[in-house]
Amino acid sequence: MRRTAIALLCLAASGLASPSCRAAPPTGLTLYAASSLTQALDEVTAAFRAQSGTAVRTSFAASSTLARQIEAGADADLFVSADQVWMDYLASRGRIVVATRQNVLGNRLALIVPADRMVTIDMRAGFDLAGLLGSGRLAIGDPAHVPAGRYARQALTTLGVWSVAQPKLVPAESVRSALALVERGEVPAGIVYESDALLSSHVRLAGLFPETSHDPIVYPAAIVSGHDRPVVRQLLAFLASPAAGQVFARYHFLVR
Amino acid sequence: MIEVCVRRRLGAFLLDADFAAPSQGITGLFGRSGAGKTTLINLMAGILAPDAGRIAIDDLVFCDADARVTLAPEARRIGFVFQDSRLFPHLSVEANLRFGLRRRRQAPCPITFDAVVDVLGVDHLLPRRPQTLSGGERQRIALGRALLAQPRLLLLDEPLASLDAPRKAEILSYIERLRDQFRLPMIYVSHSLDELIRLADHLLVVSDGRIAAAGPLADVISRLDLQPLLGRFEAGAVVDCVVQAHDPHYRLTTLRFDGGQLRVPLVDRPEGERVRVRLRARDIALALSEPRDVSISNRLVGTISDFAVRDGVFVDVTVAVGTTTVRALISRESKDRLALEIGQRVWALVKTVALDNRSLGLLRPPRATDRDAGRE
Amino acid sequence: MPTPVELDALWLSLKVATIATLVSLPLAMLAAWLLARTSFAGRTALDAVVHAPLVLPPVVVGYLLLMALGARGPVGRWLDSAMGIRLAFTTGGAVLAAAVMSFPLMVRAIRLSLEAVDGGLEWAARTLGATRLDAFVSVTLPLMLPGIVSGAIVAFASSLGEFGATITFASNIEGETRTLPLAIYTAIQTPDGDLIALRLVGLSLALAIGALALAEVADRRVRRMLGRP
Repeated sequence: MRRTAIALLCLAASGLASPSCRAAPPTGLTLYAASSLTQALDEVTAAFRAQSGTAVRTSFAASSTLARQIEAGADADLFVSADQVWMDYLASRGRIVVATRQNVLGNRLALIVPADRMVTIDMRAGFDLAGLLGSGRLAIGDPAHVPAGRYARQALTTLGVWSVAQPKLVPAESVRSALALVERGEVPAGIVYESDALLSSHVRLAGLFPETSHDPIVYPAAIVSGHDRPVVRQLLAFLASPAAGQVFARYHFLVR
Repeated sequence: MIEVCVRRRLGAFLLDADFAAPSQGITGLFGRSGAGKTTLINLMAGILAPDAGRIAIDDLVFCDADARVTLAPEARRIGFVFQDSRLFPHLSVEANLRFGLRRRRQAPCPITFDAVVDVLGVDHLLPRRPQTLSGGERQRIALGRALLAQPRLLLLDEPLASLDAPRKAEILSYIERLRDQFRLPMIYVSHSLDELIRLADHLLVVSDGRIAAAGPLADVISRLDLQPLLGRFEAGAVVDCVVQAHDPHYRLTTLRFDGGQLRVPLVDRPEGERVRVRLRARDIALALSEPRDVSISNRLVGTISDFAVRDGVFVDVTVAVGTTTVRALISRESKDRLALEIGQRVWALVKTVALDNRSLGLLRPPRATDRDAGRE
Repeated sequence: MPTPVELDALWLSLKVATIATLVSLPLAMLAAWLLARTSFAGRTALDAVVHAPLVLPPVVVGYLLLMALGARGPVGRWLDSAMGIRLAFTTGGAVLAAAVMSFPLMVRAIRLSLEAVDGGLEWAARTLGATRLDAFVSVTLPLMLPGIVSGAIVAFASSLGEFGATITFASNIEGETRTLPLAIYTAIQTPDGDLIALRLVGLSLALAIGALALAEVADRRVRRMLGRP
């Protein structure tokens, strides 16, 4: 009995010492990016791999979620956020290599409806949001933390309809969740990025919010502290390259 | 008349019973374990449904497989006393007793709560919970509960099986009391012939799912062809006697029946009370003349009415003593030696010792007072 | 001292868990009875459906609820047009999500207690004049009580912690569906929301301990009532 126990202990110890458990950098890169960049970045990272031979693992979620994870020590090499706020958040906590921070993309804010609703809105101050929603709700990213939700709140406030919207909100955990709700017809309208609106065939773009109604939608990117390696810089450079830019443009992002 | 003609299969076992029993008095249902006794009364109570056949009591049909008529158990008013009492653990003794009574609100209830409590002597148990009672006490409550549901027939499924000898005697006397007080027809299932001899008027013998014998108790008991079922040396006669006198000096009791008298060990019953005595054939010797210098006190005069040879060794002699039939089992050699013939006058001799508690159906003499019998 | 927002989440959690438990109880008893005491053609299927929320990821259950009871779902559409009832984004939806997720736990506890009751007692009651229903209610049900109580409490506690199905089906709407787990999740996402998150966690712990204490008291009470040790 004792011999069996010792044998098992040795086996467990050797397992712990095996290479897969050591905190060695994996071959390949890890990219954390805002959920609205999902499809575009999948294509871009594939192109990167074809060109450089380095594979890129991606994790898409709300920028807030990702920033929290990186703060807690998640093993990301590069972070692309949907707003400056979350990048500032990480910068103030020393979690990014500030020198590498740069704005990569832009976007516009869109009001969407399910595809079978034939409706177009003239997006100016005091537009009839109540009429648009009826007894339903408005799906946006959670204004408390999701960038798209924050932009949405700004835009609605600027256009003077925030008081109409607030009691009828469905605060989703990410802009993609908000998109899904509109796609499924669970809500009569939602606010997402233009890139999201044009990506989905199940929603219709009812109107674009004036760029002046909210902070400019900018996607900053930066290398995570402790991960500043040549190959990561290579990826960052690729994201900002014209080749990547063409891909992003196809997905309706604003390319700098 | 209780008419039962049913067939029911349970796995490999097939019950195929056809009998009629009187709807008065106690009918005993005797058989070995697995013979089908419990299946039969479950069919009568409605706990099981027959595959085919009919059950009726006094022309009230309880189930008829062909006519597709079935009365649910709750509509049959057939009381059931289970071997394991099955008292409701979440109710007090009193609530248990009143359970059936409560559900007969509109109907007349001739069997009253107070009468039952009195006869069974359970007044002091009423506030208790079943879990705190002894086995004997539980069966008493089970009896009372079944009675208070105002049944038209009471089925008792080996009610004494889980009790020890003293408790058995106690409960048996309660059952007798209930029978006398409430005049309720009963069907009493048991694998113990002693219990049945004491209680039953009518006897059904079940074997392998079939009715092997049915008839008045004395008749069935005396049938030696039933020996394999009844037990090898159990056959004999059952005599209904009356307590005539007690002899405290010799601690003996004299019982009288129409064929004569019997001296038995002291029986704790008042004079004039009925007692049944079983005279086992093997305990009886025969004499051609009344012996004087012999220790046997019980000497009955009778006439030989029949012989039957058993196993080539023994002869079963039927002797008519008054209106009672008594059987003696003697060796064939003795029969030839005495040159016994039919019609011959003989003396049937029974030792007092042979008439022990078991023969009297008394497993243990009941205690002096009823209250004492209630305590452990 | 908890803030109004925190109290809202607490109150909502209690409301949702209580209603979910009460609504599930009769259904769970029916399901337990069907599974324990009957044998009919679809019994195995019923068993599988009842236990599905136990083995499926909560988000999947929420998604299935959304497909069926959402605005475009077949049942959801009928509910809306026939009775004006909408479940998604409402407290009702949160109740449904919690109830569905905790249902198998309740059924299991009740079924076990039902199976532990001697069926012979019901037959005894029938011979005493009780109908089938009467026998069940007067004899079996009281004896099942400890199991029912324990099943209800397990379901209540499980409902308090329900997250995946709730956020998928009912979303995260403050005051309507933002129960304690969802409030904690939101607080974690929010910048500088750590303090709020910790306070909510403390509140959840207090609630859990309270529920356990209540369970203990209820259990003892019921046992005493049944005359058991």
